[in-house]
Parts: sequence; structure tokens; C-alpha cells
Amino acid sequence: MIDWQAFALTLRLATVTTAILLAIAIPLSALLVLGRGRWLAGLEALATLPLVLPPTVLGFFLLVLLGPRTAFGRGITALLGHPLAFSFSGLVVGSVIYSLPFAVQPLVAGFAGVEPALLDAARLLGAGSTRVVFTVLLPLARRSLLAAAVLSFLHTVGEFGVVLMLGGDIPGSTRTLSILLYNQVENFDYAAADRTATILVAFSLAALVAIYLGSRLRGGRHA
Amino acid sequence: MLKWIGACLFAFACAPGAWPQAVLRLAAAADLEPVLPPILKDFQHATGIRVEATYQASAMLTAQIQNGAPFDLFLSADLGYPKRLIRAGVAEPSSLAIYAHGTLVLWTRNDSRLRGPSLDLLRDPQLKRLAIADPDRAPYGRAAVAALTSLHLYDTLRPRIVTAENIAQAAQFVESGNAQAGLISLTTALTQQLAASGSYFVIPRDLYPPIEQGAVLMRQSTQRNAARRLLDYLLSAPAQAQFAKAGLAPVHPA
Repeated sequence: MIDWQAFALTLRLATVTTAILLAIAIPLSALLVLGRGRWLAGLEALATLPLVLPPTVLGFFLLVLLGPRTAFGRGITALLGHPLAFSFSGLVVGSVIYSLPFAVQPLVAGFAGVEPALLDAARLLGAGSTRVVFTVLLPLARRSLLAAAVLSFLHTVGEFGVVLMLGGDIPGSTRTLSILLYNQVENFDYAAADRTATILVAFSLAALVAIYLGSRLRGGRHA
Repeated sequence: MLKWIGACLFAFACAPGAWPQAVLRLAAAADLEPVLPPILKDFQHATGIRVEATYQASAMLTAQIQNGAPFDLFLSADLGYPKRLIRAGVAEPSSLAIYAHGTLVLWTRNDSRLRGPSLDLLRDPQLKRLAIADPDRAPYGRAAVAALTSLHLYDTLRPRIVTAENIAQAAQFVESGNAQAGLISLTTALTQQLAASGSYFVIPRDLYPPIEQGAVLMRQSTQRNAARRLLDYLLSAPAQAQFAKAGLAPVHPA
């Protein structure tokens, strides 16, 4: 028996998270690379920080922060009409924070590698910041954009600690593949765990090969 | 600077623990974490045997032991895991002993807007989130489902149940205010943090099968005598009295 519900849920979570992450990480990385000012060092540090905390600890902090005991949590609950913990949207919030460095780091590296003379030329020709980002930075850093998307997606698929603390293991809403897999291992159901892990690894491998092959065929490799 | 680092490393290397020393390695169920430390201290005081305890979910400890984790004694939160280790041939069948009975309680925060913990709270439609430990592997989770089933409430409450990995996490779900009530162990409810912020109701024992917490000695242990002495000590009157104080029902009522 394969739990397609958990599989579909995981894909949905990873897709939504990746979309939100790119929407946040592209402007953020552009600001970090193009911007001037020492405070940006603080911002970059903050965007990298989720790597430091053990995921379960991060999940615990989020559980407390989003819960009814903080003003922030009460505000969110009033806004949405339901608490974020133990819900799909709660997992999205957790995943976005948890995977933020995996989206920002490749983009910052990619943007920083773009020839400054090209940016100056674009500006001299009258392009505004937004136009510079979308017509110069992103096309030249395609490969980094791809890396950011792939890493965010896979990191969310394999996410465990945050989901464990914030999810409450509800089938169809917060029981992701990694939680299912952990349950199967912990329940000594190694045969089921093998099946789940095989699906997860085979799917990820196939998706990665397809993405990298596409990128090679389009000549993205050297971009 | 380098000299300092060198001195620190030297100090670490010489610190107790770096040298092989007769230390008994104990694998203990997570619900014992608030209970065992003072008991182990008394044991060391009485016998001179030092015990190093690792607290984890019983299921995880079982998997680790099956794969060669070097423990001398295993205190599980149920009887099933020790029996599994016996079947796997890594534990001593004759050593299996029940050292305490677990107590299931319903716990709520004192600032909860719902009524205080009671069986009526479980019937309250205002109760939107009830936290329990995973019934597939956590003994208290199994007891929670059994109790809800005896009360004919399991099917009604099922969509409102959130499942935690273990009893401590179930308590965190409630303590953080995200779930309004939780079925947890009395040992957890009696810890300082939870005792300060909430109150509990003892679930009547006839509603769930007894949570028999079993202990077993490891076959590969090189210190079987010391391990045996610790097990005997845990079954003795003073240790049993301490179990009772911490929320575990003693096996031999003192």
C-alpha cells in the first residue's frame, strides 16, 4: 500500500513553498547584491540563520510564536480565522523560513557573479532596478535561479523537524512523506519504509535528471 | 592563544569520562526523564556504581539496541519493546520485570477558556484540538486511544486529535496553547513547568489497559551484576516510593 495522499501533499507543500520562496528570495538577493549599506550584512546574516537552529527547535519556536500565547499568534489566528499550527498553511510558513537560506544563497552567489560593467551599462541606458533584475541579473544567473528553485523544493520535500513539531501528523493536511517514512521506521514497518523511501528517491532522481538535462540542452550550463 | 587551546584540550582529555571506567549505561524511556535522576543518584550513593542514562522514545531505543547500541539495561515505557528485544535475542528473557505502571492524565492550561480538565471536557464541542502521543508506538498514545474508545468518544474526537511523536511533544502542543487539552503521562504533568502552568485530571484506570513499564537486561552487557543490582534497586521500596511521588504507580504498593 502506497500512501499517495502523503505523496501529493508533499508535492503541494514543496511547490507552494518554492513559489513563495522565489518571490521573496529574488528581490531579497538583488537587494543584498546591488544595495549599499552595512545594515545589509545584518539582513544577509538573518536570511542565513535558519541553518543554525536544529529543525525541531525551529519548529518548536514557531509553534510557540504562532500559538495563542503570543500577540503575533493571536493576530494571525484572528486574520485567518484559524490557528496556523496543525494546518497546511502553518507548514508553508515553517517551510519558507526553514528553506530561505537554500533559495537566497545560490541567488546571491549568482547575482554577485554578474559582470558589474553590464549592470552599469543597463543603468546608463536608463533601466530601473526592477528592470535590471529581470532583464540582466536573472537571465545571466539562470543557473543560480534553477539551483535556488531545486534546492528549495528538495529541502522542503525532505523537511522533517519543523513539520514534526508544527504539523500534528494529520493525514491529508500535515502528514508529509518524511513524517510517514519516519512513522514507518519507528513502527518497525521496514518493508513499508523501504517502499516509501524508494518512491521518494526515485521520484527525486528522475525529476533532477530531467531538470539538469533540460538545462544542459538549452545551454544553461555556461550561463 | 594556542597555549590556552592546548591547555583546554588537555583538561578535556583528562576530565573524568575520557578514561574507561565502570559506568553502567542505561537506556530509559522519555517519560522517566523527570523521574530517574534523583533515584540514580541515590543508587550511586549506596553502591558506588555510576549510571549514565540516555532518555529517548522507547521505540527509538529499541531500534538502536537492536542495531548494537551498547546499553546494559533498558527501561521501557511498555512491555512490548522489551519483549521485542527478547525475541530478537539481544535481551535476557529471565530478567524481564515490570518496574512501574504509567498513569494517564488529561492536562489543560490554567488560562484555557474551556472548563478545567475532566471527562466532561472531552465531551465539550468547544474542544477543537486534543493532543495525544502516537498510538502506533507510544504506550501513552495507545492508552489515550483506548480510554477515548471506552468512553465512546474516539470517533467523535478523531478529526480533532493532533498526534505528537511522543508524550513530551504532546505536552508541548498543549503548553504552547496550540491544542486546548492533551492526554499525557502523570510524570510529565508533574514536572515543574507543567505543574506551574496547568492542571490535570487522572483518567480512571478502568478505562484503559494498564501501562506496564518493563525493564530488561542486555545480553551483551559486560556488567550484568551491576545492571542486575540497579534493576533490583528500582524494584525496592525506596525507589518505588520515589516513582509514586513522580507520578508512576508502584508495582508493589508500599
